[in-house]
Amino acid sequence: MSGQPLLDVKGLTCRFGGLLAVEEMELAVPRSQLAGLIGPNGAGKTTVFNLLTGRVKPASGSILFEGRPLIGLKANRINRLGLARTFQNIRLFSELTVMDNVLVGFHGGLKANFISAVLRLPSYRAEERRILARAEEILELMGLMEQAQERAGNLAYGQQRLLEIGRALATSPSLLLLDEPAAGMNPQETLALSALVRRLRDELKLTVLLIEHDMHFVMNLCEELTVLDHGKVIARGAPQAVQRDQAVIEAYLGVSPAKCASTENGDA
Amino acid sequence: MIRALLRRLNAGPLPPPQATRRRDFWLSLVAVAVMAVGLRLLETGLSAYWVQMICLAGLNVVLAVSYNLINGVTGQFSLSPNAFMACGAYVTALLTLSPAEKSLSFILEPLVWPLSVISLPLPMALMIAGLVTALLGFVMGFPVFRVRDDYLAIVTLGFGEVIRVVANNAQSVTNGPLGLKGITHLTTVWWAWGLCLAAAFVVTRLIRSSYGLALKAIREDEVAAETMGIDIFWHKMLAFMVSAFFQGVAGGLLAHLITTISPNLFTFFLTFNLLIMIVVGGLGSTTGAVLAAVLVTFGGEWLRVVEEPLSLFGYEIPGIAGMRMVVFSLILVGFMIFMRRGLLGRNEFTWRWLTALAGRRSENK
Repeated sequence: MSGQPLLDVKGLTCRFGGLLAVEEMELAVPRSQLAGLIGPNGAGKTTVFNLLTGRVKPASGSILFEGRPLIGLKANRINRLGLARTFQNIRLFSELTVMDNVLVGFHGGLKANFISAVLRLPSYRAEERRILARAEEILELMGLMEQAQERAGNLAYGQQRLLEIGRALATSPSLLLLDEPAAGMNPQETLALSALVRRLRDELKLTVLLIEHDMHFVMNLCEELTVLDHGKVIARGAPQAVQRDQAVIEAYLGVSPAKCASTENGDA
Repeated sequence: MIRALLRRLNAGPLPPPQATRRRDFWLSLVAVAVMAVGLRLLETGLSAYWVQMICLAGLNVVLAVSYNLINGVTGQFSLSPNAFMACGAYVTALLTLSPAEKSLSFILEPLVWPLSVISLPLPMALMIAGLVTALLGFVMGFPVFRVRDDYLAIVTLGFGEVIRVVANNAQSVTNGPLGLKGITHLTTVWWAWGLCLAAAFVVTRLIRSSYGLALKAIREDEVAAETMGIDIFWHKMLAFMVSAFFQGVAGGLLAHLITTISPNLFTFFLTFNLLIMIVVGGLGSTTGAVLAAVLVTFGGEWLRVVEEPLSLFGYEIPGIAGMRMVVFSLILVGFMIFMRRGLLGRNEFTWRWLTALAGRRSENK
């Protein structure tokens, strides 16, 4: 499977009523790549994530993950296959503690059945100990060990984003989808996040696909960018090449007056 | 204020160290022993009426604790305990009644064959009733968990009515509106409070396990829980079936406490009462449910005071029947205004809390 990309999307199309949210999208993410998905607001980036994780069903197209088709699978099955995500509008279990949020991530992979959990049989207890140790490792990695017993909803915004990544890591993914991980972070936090994502790739051999509006962050971190506008891929390639691409500049800043003005709104 | 205190004192590194666990185990054992001695004293010292009340309180604790698992912990607003209790009560009664009594009761249509000759001892009948009710929960779960929130409430409410209508019309099984009479009074405080221990043990252990965490995650955010690899349908089903099992067994014990059951006993009011208990105790709190179940059961008795004639500043006020329900409602309204999250919120009374409190006291001296 070495030649095959980890994630292979072909002809992906998604409609919401009359709106064509994603149109004939092609995307291939090789193993251990830091890939980025960018585009102006409303381009369909989050919809792509929702399609990949099974929250939204596509009208047509195929998604292959490790050579396995994902379309039609339930979200929890897709997660178990090794695809985890974070959410743009943070969706933590805010009443649970930071530690419990990470522990929930491990539950899907739990082997013990509920009877052995209720009776606290040795097999369950051994598994619980192992999970707790790994959850502590994740919190250590995220720098959230101090807040382990804090209510997740009480964390600072940037820390909540980190906890979401931690919770996703707990499901032991091979592909991590990050939806605007740097949103709401200050420059120092963004820098630390950049280093963290790189560590996840280098040390845990994760493949990362991320959506981000912070261009500085994206340009410095990602190895390959795909630019989406109105549901269509308008450019792809190395960050430097994409940055100079005329179609991308027009999508973000609008068509130059010489070419006739349009109402495109750029936000980066 | 209680809640804030509980939250502060319960905070600490998880899981509790081995020593704490062992201490908690011994404390629980002592508490159970004290409870047993207390029950023994009450059983011998009180009138039959109050013993009956204590049994009823025990059954209400079982019902509230298991109901809280699905409504408070998993966050699925089910309204089906009356259906489960009816199922459990009928199954148990039909299994324990002697063939002679059955043929006496079923005057319009004879009881169907296998049931008409069976007569089982109570423990076996209760076990079967629990399993049958859990199976009913399993079958109900498929349509019920296709919907959520208000719709789920309506569907489960509907099932409660369906069970009642079936009980009313399946003459040859349930004896229709005539109901079942002459059920032996077998429910003692030991049965009722023994079942409490079993229910509290299973539910607490479940909540504290990884499964309980998954259930809470479903309550907090279903989409996120599913995206994190949790099969939300089967986890809801698990909570629903565990809850149904205990409600079925409690229904069976209820039948053997009041000795006569009929379809009209199992109306929505039973569910409504339980709902009051778990809301007053604090949705999601098991110890809160225990506390509130006992308070509500005995509260109705204590409030009889307000129905008695009394003289106030020289005025003679005659006793008004039904006045206690007015007062009870006012108390509930007060609760919902001043303690919206119930007595304990989502916190629990724990040994850790108690020992921390004791430690603080001795420090102050």
